Amino acid sequence: MTTCTTTPQPPWHTHTVRITEIVTETDDVATYRLVPTDPTITTHFTPGQFNMLYLPGVGESAISMSGDPTQTDAWMHTIRAVGNVTRTLARMPVGETLGLRGPFGTGWPLNDLQGNDLVIVAGGLGLAPLRPLLYHVLHHRADFGRVCVIIGARTPVGLLYPVEYDNWRSHGLDVSLTVDRPAADWTGQVGVVTLLIDRLRLPRPEQTHLVMCGPEVMMKYAAISGRRLGITDDRTWVSLERNMQCAVGFCGHCQLGPAFLCKDGPVLRYDRIRPYLSVEAL
Amino acid sequence: MPSNSLTATEQSFPKDRLQRLIDALRSRGYTVVGPRVDQDAIVYDELDSVEQLPRGWTDEQGPGHYRLKRRDDEALFGYVVGPHSWKKILFPPRETVLSAEKTDRGWQFIPRATDPRKFALLGVRACELAAIAVQDRVFMDGPHRNPLYAERRQNLFIIAVNCTQAASTCFCTSMNTGPRCRAGFDLALTEIETGFVCEIGSERGAEVLADCVPTAVDVEQSRAAETARQQAVDQIIRHMDTDGLREALLSRLTHPHWRDVGERCLSCTNCTMVCPTCFCSSVTEVRDLTHDRVDRDVVWDSCFNPDFSTMSSGPVRIDTAARYRQWLTHKLATWHDQFETSGCVGCGRCITWCPVGIDITAEVAALRESPAA
Amino acid sequence: MSFPDAALQSEFLRGIPPQVCAQLKALGQVRAFPPGCVIFAEGAIHTDFHLITEGHVRLDMLVPCRGHMAILTAGPGDVLAWSALVCQSVMTSTAVALEPVKAVTFPADALRQLCEQNHEIGYHVMRQLAAALSRRLVATRLQLLDLFDAPAKPRETPPIVGRPGDDEC
Repeated sequence: MTTCTTTPQPPWHTHTVRITEIVTETDDVATYRLVPTDPTITTHFTPGQFNMLYLPGVGESAISMSGDPTQTDAWMHTIRAVGNVTRTLARMPVGETLGLRGPFGTGWPLNDLQGNDLVIVAGGLGLAPLRPLLYHVLHHRADFGRVCVIIGARTPVGLLYPVEYDNWRSHGLDVSLTVDRPAADWTGQVGVVTLLIDRLRLPRPEQTHLVMCGPEVMMKYAAISGRRLGITDDRTWVSLERNMQCAVGFCGHCQLGPAFLCKDGPVLRYDRIRPYLSVEAL
Repeated sequence: MPSNSLTATEQSFPKDRLQRLIDALRSRGYTVVGPRVDQDAIVYDELDSVEQLPRGWTDEQGPGHYRLKRRDDEALFGYVVGPHSWKKILFPPRETVLSAEKTDRGWQFIPRATDPRKFALLGVRACELAAIAVQDRVFMDGPHRNPLYAERRQNLFIIAVNCTQAASTCFCTSMNTGPRCRAGFDLALTEIETGFVCEIGSERGAEVLADCVPTAVDVEQSRAAETARQQAVDQIIRHMDTDGLREALLSRLTHPHWRDVGERCLSCTNCTMVCPTCFCSSVTEVRDLTHDRVDRDVVWDSCFNPDFSTMSSGPVRIDTAARYRQWLTHKLATWHDQFETSGCVGCGRCITWCPVGIDITAEVAALRESPAA
Repeated sequence: MSFPDAALQSEFLRGIPPQVCAQLKALGQVRAFPPGCVIFAEGAIHTDFHLITEGHVRLDMLVPCRGHMAILTAGPGDVLAWSALVCQSVMTSTAVALEPVKAVTFPADALRQLCEQNHEIGYHVMRQLAAALSRRLVATRLQLLDLFDAPAKPRETPPIVGRPGDDEC
């Protein structure tokens, strides 16, 4: 399995962080800026990694970082209020404190991606763990060739970070948006991301990586579209989700075949995990 | 920590000096844990006297069957294995790992980083030595280290006892873990009529053994010990074909037999609780009445619990068949990918303690019988 | 007429052998549609089959009380008005150009005749059409699955206390 890039640390070591800003993204999604109360702690991470956010008495939840990896004084997390922890968090105001362990897991494979063209596919909340990669690309634009970003959402208001798209485009990123259920005033594209991948014409498919985060079924068919364009499964990367509790491979919850998604993932090379993803209820 | 290489030194001492060994350990600050009879089973618990050992008891085991029976001799270690394993000491069923306290400066978090207790385990079987080595890989050898486990492991003193009989559920010879204790102990005893033949596995072991005033092993004792150990080998009747087992199982993930076993399995979690290598756990929140102090406790969990795989969108392993498949393929196949060893040591506990008598060796054989999907 | 590269690069034509492609080229004509142009209307007879080379086209269906519901956006490389080849030319949606759109347009009757006269050509055209429709069908299924929908009602997780594991078995 992929080597773990996480800094070894006592597994239960928990930082106190304070909510200093909450940005409402959609109906039930908000981005939290979390600042460690201990100013000596820097918030380094690799794009694609996650933290465990802890609300005492409620529980912990694994949430990917969604901010700029060069920002070292705060962690940004984009969170949908969907479980006990995240719904409780959604009721917490700026100024409250909570616990945070991390960073954990493998990030996007920056070394493998460098020097290549990228097709980045995000579905729904899947854009959150990809945003740090996009920031990385913007900071190191010359290290990457052509970068296509395909963002799918259920509805236009479900598209995350819309104010940033123009900035991404100004750095030469080809950003396309599509929704499943358009609103009356939507003038953009309608349909799932696979159709947009099918329309891509890649100048050098053998030097192109497909990088994805979104619903598993979406990624499965997006990978098929990618393969038709010449992007092989060993140049396809997916970020997967399972129940994560300990984040260090001790508790067994997040297993998918041989992988502990908390430490071997959440980012995995598709050819290595594909046989297990296709088995029902594994 | 016991050395992994076997020092060939063997000595012997009479039965009545075993108490000196317990005393020697206790005087060095160890809590001695060993076999005791409780609720009609042989369990592992603290002890300070040889009188607490299951003298003259043995266990009769089969699929879904366990009974204590009287022996016709006074053997202290004349049983095989019971429902407990040593993981209850090294990886306790419930353990606080973090405390959270609400202060003026917000929540503060105090990890529990140390467990200074020193345990001496008395009566560790070969399969159990292998199980401890397996959990060492899980909790200490990866990129992350469980500091509490590691500390207890560091301080552990192990007195192994060679099996002189086997249960019908034993298959350690298939898993290459026993019945002979080969490494990973401080001392390893073989019980014979006149006393114990003792192999020394570490300097620490030799030092503690000195309190028993051991003598050299004579030819007769040596032969008696060999005969006793051979008896265990001869009694093993169960077998699991491990040749290419990982590939055999992973190529049968959609095999119809999973559904068959899923219909028999009660998803009761017994097999995972008694298994000496199963390590799955959950974290539970324990609040005081004011909600200003919360402990986070790691408690044993099981891949057979429906909520074990639950995400915000629902459980991944939706039925018993999927959960049994996870347990078996993890134990015997993907464990190799994760820890470069099988997760099964052949102790047979999962067979004995399954209320409907599901037999891991029979399920593997049934799966292997028909070709891969 | 010079045949646009974008059409030759489309998945539809790339899979067709050169000698067959040459015959198709003879039938095709480049056409432009201004933004807002209704290329065809749902229920109407439309006698052309298009291969989009530039721009996007909205496909919608009329639903009483809800109006024109956009269901799909077709773009460069996509086929448009497939019903002209296989469904007596009755259109199953309304197509509106969202921006300046260019397409290679084939008269459906002539193309169908060519396919009938020369089954080799017919095989390749219909195979490519089936492949294009299967991609669209899979995409429609994915859309139907409503994958981004948040779970309607999160399951209540029973408390851990009381499960085996709390007690030493």
